[in-house]
Amino acid sequence: MYNLLQRLSGVTSFAVSVLLGLVVLISVTTPLIPSSPTHAVVLHGVKTTTGRQMDPYDKTSRAAEYARLTFDVDADLTSMFNWNTKLLFAYIAAEYSAPGFETNKIVVWDRIIRSRRQAKLRLRRHHNKYTLRNFGLTFDGVQDANLTLYINPVPYLGLMYDRPMHSIPLTLPRAAAAAAA
Amino acid sequence: MELLSHAKKHGVRSLLLQGLTFISVLTSAFMIWKGLSLFTNSESPVVVVLSGSMEPAYYRGDILFLHNGYSPIEVGEVVVYKVDEKPIPIVHRVMKVHTESETGKQFLLTKGDNNSADDRGLYNPGQLWIQRDEIIGRVKGFVPYAGMGTIWMNEYPQLKMGLLGALCVLSLFSND
Repeated sequence: MYNLLQRLSGVTSFAVSVLLGLVVLISVTTPLIPSSPTHAVVLHGVKTTTGRQMDPYDKTSRAAEYARLTFDVDADLTSMFNWNTKLLFAYIAAEYSAPGFETNKIVVWDRIIRSRRQAKLRLRRHHNKYTLRNFGLTFDGVQDANLTLYINPVPYLGLMYDRPMHSIPLTLPRAAAAAAA
Repeated sequence: MELLSHAKKHGVRSLLLQGLTFISVLTSAFMIWKGLSLFTNSESPVVVVLSGSMEPAYYRGDILFLHNGYSPIEVGEVVVYKVDEKPIPIVHRVMKVHTESETGKQFLLTKGDNNSADDRGLYNPGQLWIQRDEIIGRVKGFVPYAGMGTIWMNEYPQLKMGLLGALCVLSLFSND
């Protein structure tokens, strides 16, 4: 005869194995669901200025060059929402190489898209949300710069993966005063 | 008392056998954990989210599966890091990456999706960047709320002790 405890343990262990199987199945199949997002980034201009940032943790607060971008984003990410999409984390990264530092990647803008209704992006003459400043403080010798839109779908359950979307070339000019000197 | 009567009824051997099974369960769990740790190159490959700083992507109690590997960190990745002077590992997104050409050394800046400021206030005093070796792992997969039990047990130690006690008593009196 089985007592109550044995029955309970049998039921729970079966339930846990079924749940684990489902978790694996959902995790593996979700990235395979096809989607056809449209996306375009247009850069209007870059303006570099020299200044000191008010950073409470960076006590040095040396003068540095800051680039202010003006860009448009047109994207329809509606098709990236499926039954296992909690949100899309969209971000634009500036990528370049500088003397002594082969790769530099800086997120200049991001947005959390939580529903199909928010998934049509239409930004006009937007500026960067985060400061764009080189590790070496100036944009001296910066080359191969581009601006890339990435989408990082966050599922309700399962695996994380990233989707590079649209990449455009970018030039990071020196500030007017520095270039003249 | 009850232990003695149990020994009288089933013999000392069965008691020892039970002890052995218990120890083998413990050691195999430890082996799996350490094996996973070796495979992922991460000191703790499974973590529970403790704060709401990554909402709405990750909530308190979500279980995260990490893989550290050896490749450089990319921007946009969600990583778990631990700085020397703070004991609690933090799950945040990488916002800036500068990789030095000669040494391959990486300077990383992180930020929580739900925080308006970057993480410099969470690093060691005066620390502006975190390094590759401070990263415990990058988030590769997650199961929502499955780690809520851990949080309850940390918040109510009585619950933990009670559960452990109940398990011990049950293991003594089970026949398998």
